[in-house]
Amino acid sequence: MLRDVTFGQYYPADSFVHKLDARVKLVLTLLFMVGIFFVVSFMGFAFITVYLLTVILVSRVPLKSVLKSIKGIIFLLLLTSILNVFFTKGDDPALALVYLKVTDRWTIEIYKEGLIFAAKMLLRLTYLVIGSSILTLTTTPVDLTHAVESLLKPLRIIHFPVHEFALIMSLTLSFIPSLIEETDRIIRAQKARGADFDTGGLVKRAKAFVPILIPLLVGGFRRAEELANAMNSRCYEGATKRTQMRVMKLSWRDLVATLFALVFMAAIFVLYGMRGQWGALDFLNWLYF
Amino acid sequence: MSRADKKLKSQQTVAVEVPENSAIFAQNLNFIYNPKSPFAKHALIDVNLNINQGEFVAIVGHTGSGKTTFVQHLNALIRLQSGELTILGKYNLAAKKPDLKGLRQDVGMVFQYPEYQLFADTVLDDVCFGLKNFGVEKDKREGMAREALELVGLDFDKIKSKSPFDLSGGEKRRVALAGVLAMKPRILVMDEPTAGLDPRGKREILSLVSELNRTHGVTVIMVSHDMNEVYENARRVIVFRDGEIVFDTTPRELFRLEDEIESMNLEVPAMAKFANVLERQGYAIDENCKTVEDVYEAVLKLKEAKNA
Repeated sequence: MLRDVTFGQYYPADSFVHKLDARVKLVLTLLFMVGIFFVVSFMGFAFITVYLLTVILVSRVPLKSVLKSIKGIIFLLLLTSILNVFFTKGDDPALALVYLKVTDRWTIEIYKEGLIFAAKMLLRLTYLVIGSSILTLTTTPVDLTHAVESLLKPLRIIHFPVHEFALIMSLTLSFIPSLIEETDRIIRAQKARGADFDTGGLVKRAKAFVPILIPLLVGGFRRAEELANAMNSRCYEGATKRTQMRVMKLSWRDLVATLFALVFMAAIFVLYGMRGQWGALDFLNWLYF
Repeated sequence: MSRADKKLKSQQTVAVEVPENSAIFAQNLNFIYNPKSPFAKHALIDVNLNINQGEFVAIVGHTGSGKTTFVQHLNALIRLQSGELTILGKYNLAAKKPDLKGLRQDVGMVFQYPEYQLFADTVLDDVCFGLKNFGVEKDKREGMAREALELVGLDFDKIKSKSPFDLSGGEKRRVALAGVLAMKPRILVMDEPTAGLDPRGKREILSLVSELNRTHGVTVIMVSHDMNEVYENARRVIVFRDGEIVFDTTPRELFRLEDEIESMNLEVPAMAKFANVLERQGYAIDENCKTVEDVYEAVLKLKEAKNA
């Protein structure tokens, strides 16, 4: 039931991408997320598609698992793009594909520009989610936390509690599965007592969640307290003098991956920067379709 | 399930022949978690089983042996994947839309640490939650809640308006148990009902369950890791290993097989070991002597008989 939530679930496999240093993966993902906002043309999206497909192929995560991550936000995606179709106005009302006058002040207008803009928005958001889910599909939460901690280290100079921040992050991540499990168990227990979550109006359904939320909340506090006690009784002291079990090391793979990503990103930025200014090379303008 | 299987299933319009007086009847029960994924796990393999009404059955097995999965099938918290399962001769869980409300009222399920399901403002409200869901009229609920709370040994008038979160661990467990018993289930399924209780709390819960089984005829299915409590209370033991039933016999018979039991990472109860040693020396004691006191009496008798 709730276990089907796949967004961000680690997919175990033995691949080039899985073996990459988590820090490199994190930085490259961030670069990708910035880069995707500099993609302005369908040709650019074609580049990105090739890039993403290559990464997915090399990571040996089935395409289906990757696409599942969009499932959770599909409503948001569609809503954004539909709104964009209606609210992007072209220059010339005469060129509108659809022009409906509902009242004097309110018209429904759909332009070619709107459709294109909406399509690009849809692609951009989809690729954004896919890109970040590749990171979480191929990196364990533990590695990800270590990567964040390692990357934030410079902030120690301004007394930012890097270690504590990473600890909070890893605890949050590690509690998600147990909370899901606990929710599952509570739902089962209440169902066994005849609770009904699927029928009735909105109010009735909302009320049906009280017998789940209260035990979950109580359980959350109980777990937090138990964990705090367990840490205290083991003399946990935070960042002072702690070493790591797994020391992260960069390898040739990280270099290859970085170069590969940089080539693509450089192409994206060049395309963006040179919009319509190719001069003698203006035959390249087809790239801006 | 393959297509051929599906076709076969749709052709089976006549229900399977269920033995008379059967509480639980399972045939070729199979269950796979996360089918078709790298996390796929075959949790139940061809489980065949008949439990009669009024039995006291213990289900044991190592962690991950499939016992909890099996038990959750019994009131359709896990829906049947393949095979047949009929409860009390009338709920056919292989049907497309079994009567879940009726089933869940007849099969009371007590989970591990049932106190974690408490949620209401008062003990009375919490015990009445199930009654309300199953459509018991308002004026009847309090009487049934009183009955259930008194059954588990709590003072109804004292406890009814307290918050369940203010109670002690043992009391919480009993309130949760009362919440299930209030519905007067005919089958009581319990997943480790005594886990985390002190010896006295354990004894009290177990004697309550035995009492329900003896005087009210409730069929009891108890999942347990505590072989001593299995040995002393159950009249039949079913052992799961890797999703399969490997033993289905009486506790006395089962614990004669010391080597097999230990190879499954289960322990042999002390009194069973003692009885086994006596048997090997040629002194048989009564099958029903399972507690320390009973065995002591039996040994004294043996001694007298020898001296005479």
